[in-house]
Amino acid sequence: MVKRFLRFFAYLAFFVVALIFFAPKLGMYYFLENELKAYDVIISGETLKDEGVSLNIKDGQIFVKSIESASIKECDVTLLLFYNAINARDITLSQSAKSFIPLKVQELKLSYTVFNPLHIKVNAVGEFGSAQAQVNILDRTIHVDLQASEMMSKGYRNSLREFKKSEDGGLTYDKTF
Amino acid sequence: MIKLSNSSFLPIFAKLLILMVLAKSITLVLLWFLPSDGVELAQQHSYKPKYQRVDFENMIQSPVGAKGQGAASSSSNAVSITSMVLKGLYGKQNYGYVIVALKTSSNKTSIIAVGEEFSGFTLNSIAPMSATFTKAGKEYTLELEKTMTSSRASLYEPEVEIDDGSPKTVSKEDILAYAKSPQDIWKEISIVEVKNGEEIEGFRVTKIAKNSKMATLGLREGDVIIKANNIELKSYKDAIDIYNGLDKLDAVQIVVLRENQEVELVYEIH
Repeated sequence: MVKRFLRFFAYLAFFVVALIFFAPKLGMYYFLENELKAYDVIISGETLKDEGVSLNIKDGQIFVKSIESASIKECDVTLLLFYNAINARDITLSQSAKSFIPLKVQELKLSYTVFNPLHIKVNAVGEFGSAQAQVNILDRTIHVDLQASEMMSKGYRNSLREFKKSEDGGLTYDKTF
Repeated sequence: MIKLSNSSFLPIFAKLLILMVLAKSITLVLLWFLPSDGVELAQQHSYKPKYQRVDFENMIQSPVGAKGQGAASSSSNAVSITSMVLKGLYGKQNYGYVIVALKTSSNKTSIIAVGEEFSGFTLNSIAPMSATFTKAGKEYTLELEKTMTSSRASLYEPEVEIDDGSPKTVSKEDILAYAKSPQDIWKEISIVEVKNGEEIEGFRVTKIAKNSKMATLGLREGDVIIKANNIELKSYKDAIDIYNGLDKLDAVQIVVLRENQEVELVYEIH
């Protein structure tokens, strides 16, 4: 009986892996792009490469309402059904944001797992410092914990007005959407 | 010798193959419903002339048909300055152009820029009511045609109303302060896009805080900003491009729709 179960799960795992491998990642990405267009967000100029279990995106420029908002050197989209992640590296924000925030972000990672189905986790590291955020899909809330860098603390005080000081000396921000 | 058909791996291999085919079939069905192309931003590289403030006092409406004839007719050197008539001028001193014609064929006008030649006379400079030409080292002044000057007010009906005729002055410090904390702009003024279908036609001023710096700039609630520095504001990008380049500009001209009339507001940045 146990042997049968194991065999069944082995076949299921193989099927899932095959499904992930054959998944039309480019088509899914184009679908996402079309969905984002409805919100006036366009990712342009990028090169795409299907790498089996992930989709690699290089040199994408993000336009919000036709305004160049950020450029991303490299981004990996991993969709493993149980665990999904977007990992972007070398992000440069548009010059128009220079009065709000330092422009370089080294890494931004969004992850979602079915084992924590109501939350999307976000981690970011950049010139601004480091931040961990949690998006609650059900309550539609965002909670951000920020450890601001010296550059951020000294040069961008206006942007930090919305943050509250936490007990551990960091900064927190909560918003409902 | 063991036959391949008798191997215990064959049924497993067959099952795996079937699962692979099944997975591929599902993804192919999925592919059928997914778009085959992504979205790219269509960059519009349209010509945008640089905004330059000119003295509109000197602007005379040019007769219809004057443009395009150019200085082609200015070939004869036997023409004297008295046989020429100055029909219009635009600009001042070493910048601008004049509209000239020969008295014998006054309807055949030519547009001459400073430095260009007409009938052997080179346009040297432009004064408020006259133009100075040089020929063979001598200087000649041609007065603006009297019929034109007397009828200028009735002839020239500007399409764009200038707010109060004089540019407003904006300090660079204020602009830098706004650039440093842009949220202060939105405390003083609220602007929303005006759309016709999918296309943005301008940006409507919905609110201006009283006694604020923004309130002194001549904008009124309900104004729709349609142009800035000769650039039609058809997207947020157009507006942001102007905003980003503000520190390099000496003057900003905006055109707003106010009570269905175009009104020009000019700001000089010092």
